[in-house]
Amino acid sequence: MPRTQDYSNEELMAVVIARELRDGDVAFVGLGTGGRAFVLAVGVPTAACQLARLTHAPNLSLMLGPIINPDPSSQPSSYADSDLIRWPSEAQVRVEECLDCFKLGKITVSFVSGSQVDRYGNLNVVAIGDTARPKVRLVGPIAQTDHLAAPARNFIVNDLSPRTFVDKVDFISGAGYLDGEQRREDHGLPSQGPWRLISDLAMFEFDEATRRLKVRALYPGVAPEDVASRMSFEPLGLDSAHELEPPRPEELQVLRERVDSKGLLLEAKIDSGV
Amino acid sequence: MSLANKVVSLKDAAAMVSDGDQVAIGGHTQRRHPMAILYEMVRQGRKNLRLVGWNNGIDMDLLVGAGCVSEIQTSYVGMGKYGLALNFRRAAQAGEIDIFEESENTALERFRAGAMAIPFIPSKGPLGSDLMRYERETLTMTCPFTGERVAALRASRPDVALIHAHRADKKGNVQLDEEIVMENIADGFIGRSAKTVIVSVEEIVETSEIMLAATRTLLPNFFVHAVVELPCGAHPCCCDTRYDYDFAFTDKYYEASRAPQAFRKFLDEYVYGIPDHDAYLAKVGLDGR
Repeated sequence: MPRTQDYSNEELMAVVIARELRDGDVAFVGLGTGGRAFVLAVGVPTAACQLARLTHAPNLSLMLGPIINPDPSSQPSSYADSDLIRWPSEAQVRVEECLDCFKLGKITVSFVSGSQVDRYGNLNVVAIGDTARPKVRLVGPIAQTDHLAAPARNFIVNDLSPRTFVDKVDFISGAGYLDGEQRREDHGLPSQGPWRLISDLAMFEFDEATRRLKVRALYPGVAPEDVASRMSFEPLGLDSAHELEPPRPEELQVLRERVDSKGLLLEAKIDSGV
Repeated sequence: MSLANKVVSLKDAAAMVSDGDQVAIGGHTQRRHPMAILYEMVRQGRKNLRLVGWNNGIDMDLLVGAGCVSEIQTSYVGMGKYGLALNFRRAAQAGEIDIFEESENTALERFRAGAMAIPFIPSKGPLGSDLMRYERETLTMTCPFTGERVAALRASRPDVALIHAHRADKKGNVQLDEEIVMENIADGFIGRSAKTVIVSVEEIVETSEIMLAATRTLLPNFFVHAVVELPCGAHPCCCDTRYDYDFAFTDKYYEASRAPQAFRKFLDEYVYGIPDHDAYLAKVGLDGR
């Protein structure tokens, strides 16, 4: 799929997310992991939040784990504890306060990824196959369950792949819309489940009635069959999806000059510490 | 009567843990786990431990790799930037350990409940997810006030908690240099929830010194049963601002954990073949610290 573009896919993903963020949002981004997982779970979301703060959402608060509104101009080149502890920020809160912020609805936006994602936005980071004797044992739920149980607009950030996008996840570590329709409410969860799915080829939303994954916009130059070939189920809206507006020069300028001039976030040049 | 002295040797501290105990491990991800005590438990051949924590890594992976574990209850057993915890992965895939999946929040809530002496705590967090599968630990109920559906999380009351902190006195007052730093505070809940609390510290100081920094006390003396002085006792984990991760060592650990025989050799070299903590520090180049 040849595409001529003057921006990277990670810049595009950060721009796509930033445009979905609102002034006054409190956005939570986790810490840790390395490589591609770092780019998707930490780098792209952090860059998106900083971009939004510097453009249309000056009152957005960013929680980087327990660290609230760290100074973007002194972004450390390593996330080792000694660097995080000394990073000027508005607050570093207790871990249980941080998790309570989800329950209280103080956190309005959060970012999650899955090793498996299904058509209802359910996520799995526990095990592939039978959980009692899995084919691949993964790391465990961490805070994913808590993100998705909160009344927050969750962004699922994942590269498309048929192995990841499966008909049904083997273990629900993060509850999306379960079996669809009103199942979240039936279980006592807030009706707000996953809000957007940001992939490397398209942005998705969830159909209001069925709660099934639905293409919201294809990235510039991407054809519906490119998306279909990288998922094991067909999402709604594939043929009627419009093409997303490419990053504007001013968005790229802010990203490159003020948010991530060293490629620490979007090119994973950071030492992720743990 | 003389003043109690809770300072014990590493061997005696580890011997306070019995086979089959439910053991809570302090620290989180690859941070400030009580590694030196865990090494000694491996050396002493502890079996069938039921481990509980809220966010774990090399600590649990080590004990699993050494065959000490029958059950794990936590939200994460991973190796951070290295990826999956490989001893844990092998044991899980072979069905050798029982695993109770938690989220960070449900795991912490259980310790909070234990520390509040309540039998369970209601939570909406795991509803709808497969964390509801583990009925020994989690059931649903209706809130008597609002009629809402909630999950009842059984409180954690582990037999033993093992925690590594910055300093303590002989009486067992345990302090951290700074309290609200990188999720340290969870160790307070873990300690207060447990029946027996064993703490290793970077240094033992006089009570008079503790008293000049009273707000840093994480666990007052009457929660603590034993204290061991183990400088760099969290190695190769980091210990807040005292020392950072030893990635060169963790590289070796991770490579060895790729296969059982290689891991056995690693244990021979760094655990079974090492008599005590001083010898370990010399072996990893940290003597004289």
